[in-house]
Amino acid sequence: MSIVSNLRADPKRELWFAWYSTVAFYSLYSVVFFGLTRTQPPGKPWLEPEQTVEWFAGRQDGLLVGFALIFVLGGWSATAIALIAYSIRRMSVSRAFAYSYLVLYLIAAVPGFLFICVAMTVGAMRPERSPEAQQWLYDLGFLSFSGTMGVFLVGSLIWMTAILLDKNRVFPRWFGYLNLCNALTEVVIAPSWIFQRGVLAWDGVIAWWIDVAVFGTYTGVFIYLLREVIVRDDFGRGPLPDAPPGRPRRWHPLAKVVR
Amino acid sequence: MATATDTTDTSPDERVPGETGMWFFVLFESLIFTSYFCVYLYFRTQDEGAFLEAQSALRLPLGIVDTIVLLTSSWAIARSVQEARAGRPAAARRLAFVTIGLGAAFSALKLVEWAHLIGDGHTFTSSDFMQHYFFLTGMHAVHLLIGLVALGILVHQLADPHRRSQETIETCATYWHTVDLYWVLIFAVLYIVR
Repeated sequence: MSIVSNLRADPKRELWFAWYSTVAFYSLYSVVFFGLTRTQPPGKPWLEPEQTVEWFAGRQDGLLVGFALIFVLGGWSATAIALIAYSIRRMSVSRAFAYSYLVLYLIAAVPGFLFICVAMTVGAMRPERSPEAQQWLYDLGFLSFSGTMGVFLVGSLIWMTAILLDKNRVFPRWFGYLNLCNALTEVVIAPSWIFQRGVLAWDGVIAWWIDVAVFGTYTGVFIYLLREVIVRDDFGRGPLPDAPPGRPRRWHPLAKVVR
Repeated sequence: MATATDTTDTSPDERVPGETGMWFFVLFESLIFTSYFCVYLYFRTQDEGAFLEAQSALRLPLGIVDTIVLLTSSWAIARSVQEARAGRPAAARRLAFVTIGLGAAFSALKLVEWAHLIGDGHTFTSSDFMQHYFFLTGMHAVHLLIGLVALGILVHQLADPHRRSQETIETCATYWHTVDLYWVLIFAVLYIVR
């Protein structure tokens, strides 16, 4: 069976497209933020204006190329959010949960994700700008990225509540509680607006390193569980069935289609 | 949904109380809190004199009272679980109310303590120790507030025979014991360790 006919026949092709896009988005995100632009781990909050000029100069090409990639491909993040909203719609809970989640993440993506890209690109574009202006962009970039994580808090709580109320067994209940763990670490970011040094500054051990460890675990887990949901999805109503034994665990373009 | 008086094939001694998912939460959240404690203890070793000086502003007797109040609340919720298992939901509900009352009393005591410290000039930003103190006690307070919400759900369920679930009761109790455990550790690390 050819790839094209397989694609046409598989009723889950859109879901698998969304899932692979999710994986691609988070991979791109990691490469751009940690590798190309080196904006993560974040710079020091206490840098003097002249030091921020050096900071921009040291990664000018990476910032321009990396964030150009985000501006072109960052829209992929929509597939991850849509897939999560789809999974909530499959639950026995009100549709209001899925809509709230969707709207919240649409709004949150602007301060929590795009502001840093814009601010850092502007800083890298004209490095001859005054040191004070560069410092302003530096602060705007990191504070908007780290300091606004609280807007994601409610999203995690919405997902948690939906999972704990759901009777269709779409997600395991322990994942509902993991949402709570993630939500609680979003609270920890808030003091980064106050501190320029120490464990609660935007680059602090507690506010950044521990939170990233939790968020990384959380992201890996939900990507895996979304895949499980797609495997189990029967496009029906009521409890989501378990994955039948022998059924392909993941979509492959040359795999035999199981209807 | 199993009622509080249901019996199962598995005896209470052989099964894990409450939802397995809640135990996962306890494990994961305990790892996070442990990392907070490790960070605190590491930074304490870097500037022990300054930490000791700032720590002297804490009122140890108030911390002891906090601990007694919260431990008593844990005892009350444990008794509530026992009453529910014995098929006495009214008594279980009364004890759940006692737990809520003690949790609220703990919150009030914490607010008094924070107000005293701030009044004396010890704020979130006044020293590294106070940064850790307000952060750890603040995070604990958030957990405690979530626990009070969970206990509210428990009380609501205990009042209705159709909603009553032994698993929910045990899950809420597990969460509350965890909140209690975190406080005991915070008390030991912030108030006792000198």
